[in-house]
Amino acid sequence: MFRRGQSTTTAYLFLAPFLISTAIFFFYAFARAIYYSFTDFNLFNSPQLIGVQPYTQVVADPSFQRALTNSLIFAVVTTTLQTIFALLMAVALNNKLRGMAFFRSAWYMPSITSSVVITLIFLWLFQRRGIANYLITQWQTYQPLILTFLIGLVVAQVIQVLLERRSGLPARWTDPALAAVSALASLVVTAGLVWAGVTGPREVAPFDYQYFADKWITVGGVQILSIPLLVVIIQNTFTTVPTLMLFFLAGLQNIPGALYEAADIDGATPFQKLMNVTVPNLRPVTFYVITVGLIGTMQMFDQVAVIGSAAPQDTLITLAFYVYTNTFKAGAAPVNLAAAAAIILALLILAMVFVQRRFFPSEAR
Amino acid sequence: MKKVLTLSLGLALLAASASAQTATKTVKINGYGGTDQTLVNDLINRFVKPQMAKDGVTVVYQPLQGDYNKALTTLLAANTAGDVMYLPGETVDGFVATGKILPLNGLVSTTPFIKSLNTAFTRNGKLYAIAKDFNTLTLVYNKDLFDEAGVAYPNNNDTWTSLATKLRTLKQKLGNDYYGTCLQPNFDRFGAFAYATGWQQFGANGKTNLADPRFAEAFNWYTGLAKDKVGVQPSELSAGWNGDCLKSGKVAVAIEGGWIVNFLRDNAPNLKYGTALLPKNDKTGKRGNFLYTVGWAINSGTKNRAAAVKVLNILTSPQVQEYVLQQGLAIPSRSSLTNSAYFKKADPGAQNAKLVFDGADDGYVRAFTFGPKGPDWAKPINEALAAVLSGQKSAADALKKAQADMTTFQSR
Repeated sequence: MFRRGQSTTTAYLFLAPFLISTAIFFFYAFARAIYYSFTDFNLFNSPQLIGVQPYTQVVADPSFQRALTNSLIFAVVTTTLQTIFALLMAVALNNKLRGMAFFRSAWYMPSITSSVVITLIFLWLFQRRGIANYLITQWQTYQPLILTFLIGLVVAQVIQVLLERRSGLPARWTDPALAAVSALASLVVTAGLVWAGVTGPREVAPFDYQYFADKWITVGGVQILSIPLLVVIIQNTFTTVPTLMLFFLAGLQNIPGALYEAADIDGATPFQKLMNVTVPNLRPVTFYVITVGLIGTMQMFDQVAVIGSAAPQDTLITLAFYVYTNTFKAGAAPVNLAAAAAIILALLILAMVFVQRRFFPSEAR
Repeated sequence: MKKVLTLSLGLALLAASASAQTATKTVKINGYGGTDQTLVNDLINRFVKPQMAKDGVTVVYQPLQGDYNKALTTLLAANTAGDVMYLPGETVDGFVATGKILPLNGLVSTTPFIKSLNTAFTRNGKLYAIAKDFNTLTLVYNKDLFDEAGVAYPNNNDTWTSLATKLRTLKQKLGNDYYGTCLQPNFDRFGAFAYATGWQQFGANGKTNLADPRFAEAFNWYTGLAKDKVGVQPSELSAGWNGDCLKSGKVAVAIEGGWIVNFLRDNAPNLKYGTALLPKNDKTGKRGNFLYTVGWAINSGTKNRAAAVKVLNILTSPQVQEYVLQQGLAIPSRSSLTNSAYFKKADPGAQNAKLVFDGADDGYVRAFTFGPKGPDWAKPINEALAAVLSGQKSAADALKKAQADMTTFQSR
């Protein structure tokens, strides 16, 4: 209906808002950042080219080195954790169970909540008098009771299964019906022991761990991962797993059921099916999930900014935060250093994606 | 990054619409948000607008919410900042380096103002702002706790040792639920004690020496209070700052400036408190103190320089400062107001104001500033304080690391 030229014009017209904003806020901004990274720009002077000096300065800056280490460790640990958990959750949610719609939406909740709000909640959870420490204190207080109950449960289960087998019935160690009876019996025994005064809650001093302090997990004297960053890793995994799970879930729906039927006939265990059918067939999705995960974690900024001065800066500083703090200071700021750091960050992410493409082909085998 | 972008865009738009009005001669003032917003608007309506209206100039106050320094930096870089603006004493160096702050020499008379405050805003012989008001640190104490423990109130003759003894006795008498004082792991409070020993923030070569025995003396005294929980960090009491600590009624003494008065009036109206000057160092016999101050500065790019200077003069005039003092809002920067009747009143707020004023020239008083490299300068000290106060490091180890970090920082 349209002549060729006309339809192209129409297409560009519709694409224009997107193209213009990309050109201004991405390409132009990126070009400016590259230019600034070779100058002595401080927001207020007229920039003069000074070569690669900003880069050498940035690389020599100890807080940049810390930021780089923190970012890399954060990216690797978080991406690994979130990919594994997302896959397991997707597999669990792919079952046909009653009320699955509820679980799917409930598990997706953390992803739609603002990360700033979640960070504030985590800040409260991991305070010195926060819920994390409270729960640990409770666990220590009731440890004797819980242990008594668990031992009772195991003993009762063993006795029951042995009795069943002696009467010639095929009972598994994990039989749920027998477990329910065992739990009930163990509960009665524990209650009896508490009443008799044999066991009971202990008096313990409140667990008093400070999470947002200058504490590090060290390997051979080298500071690898700080405790505050570990809290951020837990939080980040908690909030990103649901989104990634959704991608895996979509991927799972595309795996032909016949493959699982064939595996069943061959007598594969659930774990073998996961490793030999599900994981290889999800390869394109996994590639996407890891790429998105790496880019997202390398650029992590908001959590660090919200926690702010609640934790010592070295424990949390990331590359994105380093760029931010060096751009927005009181008055003149080393914007050239910030630009150089931003370019290094961009190159790193680019390199990561290329390495991944090289060694983990995105095509399904 | 997205948020920052939207924010700066929004600000730029706002500023653009405001600058469009300059044709009708508008003087725009940038300052803090929060309580300052009401206060400055009140001042503008009462004192500035009536006088400026005669010249056909309108005056608007544009508060910058959130981090003032960052917001002002953005506006200055985009050439959309106000004609007159707050210039915080601790960030003078960074803003002077931008070249966007107008030197006031020859434009404004500096003689009526307290000398040390003028010094705080002078760089290389050029004065960049006139102090709007100032604050120093005082010792604010909870009278009931001292009465209950039967310990004498802190007074202006206390030394480090006598004050520590009072706090220890109080803690012993009142038991585990009560504390002598809150210790912020910050140079903002600790620095005053370091100054009392005669320690210099920057040596002759411009470097900071944390290995100085005088610095160590102050450090050991300050962190030594944490032994037996006589001094605790505010975070241990789920408090944000020393004022919160005092408000809780479980802490006997808070080291804070005059801003604590309004806070206590609003948040702990029944708390009976008194004020004393900071204790004297045993060896030097002097106290140390900080001058916290914010000045009025003029944008060097302003199109209405004459009007801006006039606005600045009105804002620092005796009438305005007397009004601010009477309202109990801040301590004036004019030396002539020392004789104000307000200082002789009997209420605890006025007495606190008197001691804040006296603190400005008693002992080793220095402007609260971090030097040319900005607030990061204080990081090694803050980290050392935090590590010792939370019991993770010994004072000697923490100081050693702090000195090493400081050397790296300053050689960058």
